[in-house]
Amino acid sequence: MPSLGRFIRVTIRAWVLLLLIMAAPSPSLAQQINPTASSVNERQLLQEMDRIQGRVSIPDQRSSVLLQPAGREWREFRNVALRWIGGGAILGMLAVLLVFYLTRGMVRLESGRSGRTIVRFTVFERFVHWMTATCFIILAISGLNITFGRPLLLPLIGFEAFSEWSQWAKYAHNYLSFPFTIGVILIFLMWIAGNIPNKVDVAWIKRGGGIVGHDHPPAYRFNAGQKMIYWIVVIGGGLVAATGYVLMFPFYISGIEGMQMAQIIHSVVAVLFVAAMIAHIYIGTIGMEGAFEAMGSGEVDLNWAREHHSLWLDEQSGRTGPNDQRPQPATAAAE
Amino acid sequence: MARMKFLCDADRCIECNACVTACKNEHEVPWGINRRRVVTINDGKPGERSVSMACMHCTEAPCAAVCPVNCFYTTADGVVLHSKDLCIGCGYCFYACPFGAPQYPKVGNFGSRGKMDKCTYCAGGPEADGSKEEYEKYGANRLAEGKLPLCAEMCSTKSLLAGDGEIIAQIYKERVLKRGYGSGAWGWKTAYRETIES
Amino acid sequence: MLIKRTDQHSGSDRRGSVADALASQTSGLDRRTFLRRSGLAGGALAALGTMPVYGVRKAEAAMAGPLAAGATVKKSICTHCSVGCTVTAEVLNGVWIGQEPSWDSPINRGSHCAKGASVRELVHSERRLRYPMKLVNGQWTRVSWDTAINEIGDKILEVREKSGPDSVYWLGSAKMTNEGAYLFRKLGAFWGTNNTDHQARICHSTTVTGVANTWGYGAMTNSYNDIRNAKTQMIMGGNPAEAHPVSLQHLLEGKELQKANFIVIDPRMTRTAAHATEYVRMRPGTDIPVLYGIMWHILQNGWEDKEFIRQRVYGFDDLRKEVEKWNPEEVERVTGIPTEQLKRVAKVFATEKPSTLIWAMGQTQKTVGTANVRASCILLLLTGNVGGPGMGANIFRGHDNVQGATDVGLDIVTLPFYYGLAEGAWKHWSRVWDVDYEFLKSRFDSKQIMETPGIPLTRWFEAVTLPKDQVAQKDNVRAVFVQGHASNSITRIPESLKGLKALDLLVIADPHPTTWASLAVEAGRKDGVYILPVATQFECKGSRVASNRSLQWGEQIVKPIFESKDDLEVIYLMARKLGFADQMFKKIKVESNLPEAEDVLREMNRGSWSTGYCGQSPERLKAHMKNQAKFDMLTMRAPKDDPEVGGDYYGLPWPCWGTPEVKHPGTPLLYNTNLHVMDGGGTFRPRFGLEREEKLPDGTTRKVSLLADGSYSKGSAIEDGYPEFTLASLKKLGWDTELTEAEMTVINKINPANPDTVSWSLDLSGGIQRVALMHGCVPYGNGKARMHAFGLPDPIPVHREPIYTPRVDLVAKYPTLPDAKQFRVPNIGFSVQKAAVEKGIAKQFPLILSSGRLVEYEGGGEETRTNPWLAELQQDMFIEINPADAAERGVRDGGWVWVTGAENNSRARMKALVTERVGKGVAWMPFHFGGWLAGKDLRSNYPKGTDPIVLGESANTITTYGYDPATNMQETKVTLCQIAAA
Repeated sequence: MPSLGRFIRVTIRAWVLLLLIMAAPSPSLAQQINPTASSVNERQLLQEMDRIQGRVSIPDQRSSVLLQPAGREWREFRNVALRWIGGGAILGMLAVLLVFYLTRGMVRLESGRSGRTIVRFTVFERFVHWMTATCFIILAISGLNITFGRPLLLPLIGFEAFSEWSQWAKYAHNYLSFPFTIGVILIFLMWIAGNIPNKVDVAWIKRGGGIVGHDHPPAYRFNAGQKMIYWIVVIGGGLVAATGYVLMFPFYISGIEGMQMAQIIHSVVAVLFVAAMIAHIYIGTIGMEGAFEAMGSGEVDLNWAREHHSLWLDEQSGRTGPNDQRPQPATAAAE
Repeated sequence: MARMKFLCDADRCIECNACVTACKNEHEVPWGINRRRVVTINDGKPGERSVSMACMHCTEAPCAAVCPVNCFYTTADGVVLHSKDLCIGCGYCFYACPFGAPQYPKVGNFGSRGKMDKCTYCAGGPEADGSKEEYEKYGANRLAEGKLPLCAEMCSTKSLLAGDGEIIAQIYKERVLKRGYGSGAWGWKTAYRETIES
Repeated sequence: MLIKRTDQHSGSDRRGSVADALASQTSGLDRRTFLRRSGLAGGALAALGTMPVYGVRKAEAAMAGPLAAGATVKKSICTHCSVGCTVTAEVLNGVWIGQEPSWDSPINRGSHCAKGASVRELVHSERRLRYPMKLVNGQWTRVSWDTAINEIGDKILEVREKSGPDSVYWLGSAKMTNEGAYLFRKLGAFWGTNNTDHQARICHSTTVTGVANTWGYGAMTNSYNDIRNAKTQMIMGGNPAEAHPVSLQHLLEGKELQKANFIVIDPRMTRTAAHATEYVRMRPGTDIPVLYGIMWHILQNGWEDKEFIRQRVYGFDDLRKEVEKWNPEEVERVTGIPTEQLKRVAKVFATEKPSTLIWAMGQTQKTVGTANVRASCILLLLTGNVGGPGMGANIFRGHDNVQGATDVGLDIVTLPFYYGLAEGAWKHWSRVWDVDYEFLKSRFDSKQIMETPGIPLTRWFEAVTLPKDQVAQKDNVRAVFVQGHASNSITRIPESLKGLKALDLLVIADPHPTTWASLAVEAGRKDGVYILPVATQFECKGSRVASNRSLQWGEQIVKPIFESKDDLEVIYLMARKLGFADQMFKKIKVESNLPEAEDVLREMNRGSWSTGYCGQSPERLKAHMKNQAKFDMLTMRAPKDDPEVGGDYYGLPWPCWGTPEVKHPGTPLLYNTNLHVMDGGGTFRPRFGLEREEKLPDGTTRKVSLLADGSYSKGSAIEDGYPEFTLASLKKLGWDTELTEAEMTVINKINPANPDTVSWSLDLSGGIQRVALMHGCVPYGNGKARMHAFGLPDPIPVHREPIYTPRVDLVAKYPTLPDAKQFRVPNIGFSVQKAAVEKGIAKQFPLILSSGRLVEYEGGGEETRTNPWLAELQQDMFIEINPADAAERGVRDGGWVWVTGAENNSRARMKALVTERVGKGVAWMPFHFGGWLAGKDLRSNYPKGTDPIVLGESANTITTYGYDPATNMQETKVTLCQIAAA
């Protein structure tokens, strides 16, 4: 709720200012104007506002902020809170997945492979996915490096090597943000049709997605879990991209507080995003038999489709025979 | 060992900007980089005060704490310096700094930052004292020559004080005692977690 | 990064923004960085002017060396204001590589302001002029020095042939050393004209006239350092925090140590006012009512210093009559200051003594400038605040050597050292110069014009454009030779364009092209303009006079770079071309065209008895610079037992009586009767006769003595007032026997017919002065200061509304003086004021417009706006406007506005600075900008690569008519304007 707190603070400040203005007697000339005696005072100014700003003649207006102790709060966030949040989210997710894997193991194709396949993702879809995914992984690693590299990696490889690596990581982070952003936008457009939540999802969630036991709740092309991933990517990706650009173009969009705020949003969303993507990767690889093929070759076994996306398979089959013809555009799926 | 600090006596500062150009002159600081600046609070109103501000060389410097590559170090004199060889220009120190001290040359496209530059307390950087490399990257190293930062040495009204923290605090205290007013040691609470009682 | 290394020649794409200006800069910083750390071999720098950039790079690779090892230290004086800060330069192999604090100087004690801390850049600037140029078909074309001097000389001689010597206007500079300014005045004298002027005309000419007419000399009575002694500091019409920042060291420390009152009376809440203990906001242009308002309370309460007035002041009764008119109601009505506040100020000033009054352009640059400073002096006299520590008229002058240039007579009304223009003065100087008086006379059109004051620089363009019969000399001005003066500091720029267009010849000798060049091109000139590159003062040696009258010798820090030449050399080359160098430099050593500065100073020493510049030999001045650390900061005196400077006051502040051998220590505080004259004591100078006939109300007359009554300087043999010393008066006292034979020989030679009339100021032997001093007497006599200064247009100051006043209701009661012919040209202020009221100008232009200085820039600003370290701090011309006025006009802080003026449909585009510094109804502009005109960027009018980094509209595009009757000082502080969002 940082923005709400901010809003409240700003409002209070405005009121204080208004009261001050009203309380101050209108400067009657008959009174002595003693600039020495009435000089401003740091302590008092800091009580009134959380930063001290004045006038500078150089055009760089950010230098007009004289004092901004908020930097210390941000430092606390970055050095303490973020490491707990990030560490907790990522390690926690890994731990959950490990426990799950050990107890449940890979979700097998219960009916075995049929030998017949159906196109699940087109070449273009797969290209977009993998472009975004590659960027994401590099962005994640280079991003995590900024937060965790200093305590974890630096002691291992030394200052020079770490700086060299971090410098390249920074370049990579900055430049790969562009294809990543494009990827997120394409994902949003490409799959929005199949990702509108509906009644089927409610049932799917009620049945726990069939994760526990051997249940297979019906689903269209994307089940509720996948929809969740989709929205995490779209919303999370949008947020990290937006805040990232605020940081990449310093002071074009916002001042220093805005950038601190942007950095906080960027980093928190990013670590959560990473945690979510770890789950996504798990389920797409060792978590479920036959899932990887969807993004690998783009074709999935009919049995896999039947077990996990029965409604989608029905739709597809109603239209054409399985794998008889050229694959249909994916967008047809939800028609 | 001395603990070097800056103290701007705002009741003396007249915003003459000598500190700013002295810094430019001594270190050949390029256009757009302002290692030091003077900010005027309550401009044009009775009670107006100007304060010269640069890196305050904080105790437990926030910049050093947040630097992802740990490129900052504190000298035996308490001066906070950094290595431009290690700096990756991420800008985090600017977010953390309460004083807006870190400066970044604009390099390349879309406003990306170059290596951070800031006040060195005229103490150079990690390179050998007085070496050509040190001068090129960080500017002159006056401290090594036994001189104090030029901004303070050239201050028109002896408002900006530099030197051992205890000594300059003492000077300021005596001034306030003598004249009977003082608007405070600006930034000291934030930078050094102490104030000068007056 | 804004500053780029670029091999492109500058100017290929000029649109006007700072970024563009910088982009066209050729590797300036990189080159100097390299210079600093490598120390390029001497001489090589001179070649850089023509060397392409890659050539420098090559040198860089070959010559990298240790940092500053082996650098020599040179001392000179900062060129940016009159405080006189010592600049300490580190020089390695002829390159100025660094600046160190000048701890030893008792004046600045290590300190500088933004300008002083960045002067190193001036010398090595990439944007300086490199070689002479002339305008050919509208294009700036390089020429050699020989060609330039020859062509200029031929043209000037042609003008002389057709129109006479007065048609050439010689505009010199307060930036020159004493030696340069003196030679420039001498050049005018040998050329045969009194049309020689410099910046003092537009800064403190009214002070010089007003103050000299009050008590003898028109200069700061005390010193910056001495202000530390004051219990009350009152600053009225000055903003030293920006204009004289280092002086604030003394003011603020004095304020703290003495727990002093610090009163600032100003229309603007300035950076100085921020440190006041009492800030008084007044309506611009009402200084005299404010001062009379203060005096009213003083007289009402009997706070005046009665004994001081009785002994040392003339004309008190006349003053009382004028003050009585200014009752509190009228003062409040006119000035806007509440009675209570003014009464408090009056009480503090009169009773918490010593009190000093500090002023600068705020009082002087007015149509009533002379009267303003007179009123200020009168307030000091009334309260007995002259002639002691912590007292006095501390007049902060503007340039580093404006006091000196004034003293050496680079002026239209006098020969050097205030001798005037009468025959006696010319004869005195012909003796000093060892030339025939008849020869000098033959150089002029007539003896009458030789003794007539010249044309003030404020009126130069009118002297060009007015009908011939309105200019009281043989012909209009047809050629202007400017050496070191900005054109944008002169009011009414739209009018001046007409003058620029009409000239036959314009010569600009300066380190920078200045707005003379850009405006001349804008005025439509295609030819007849020459630019000569002149060295900065850091490349010249010589003496400079700080505001406190101290002379300081500056060393040459580096040799003139590129093809620049020393001022003295340029003057010599011109004199030689014009055919009188042999006569002019008869007594001065000249080596390879460069007159020796020391020798010039010696010649000045030999002739400057009137002002006491006779004791400051180059040897003594150099000893002072060497022994700076020995002078006390407060008294400015060295210990008596010092072998070299023992007992001297720092810089031998004039008057430093007698020959150097007399060892007079200088006079740190003028008119101080508490000291022996040989310790720097003095009295008021009886300069206006010995007695005066006054008419009494009953029609009878009485004679009133103008000599002091029972007051005299310590140890004086004459314990009362006395007139100036002549041989006759020495004889009367029986002191003539103390003159040596050699001295008598000289005296007899001066006036063989009647040696008795030879006075202290004409005696070239210095004997009369010496003898007077031995008896504890001041050579000029012991007189009264004048509250009533007969001879001035307003003998008792009279309030007169500004020409363009917002208070039209007051014009009938307080009109400006009637039209008159002054200084060879008409002053039609009265008609202009009348027309303005009739036309309702104040309704169309409701805002009062004032102007002033910024700390980062100086004067016309070309030099400082070319310095990136300074230019970065002030990148745009702006106008200060009160939030209420801004709100009414929809003007926002930082937004563009059009400012329109009351004359010539003038308009200017600049940024708005919305601030409470100015009160409602008042706007304020800095006057340092130039290079734009009516919204048009003139960057392309400058010779390639010499355009300043920052350009902007000049304040004087908007300023209007208005000239002080006594000096023709221009009005820059009060006019009217309108502001609209652009």
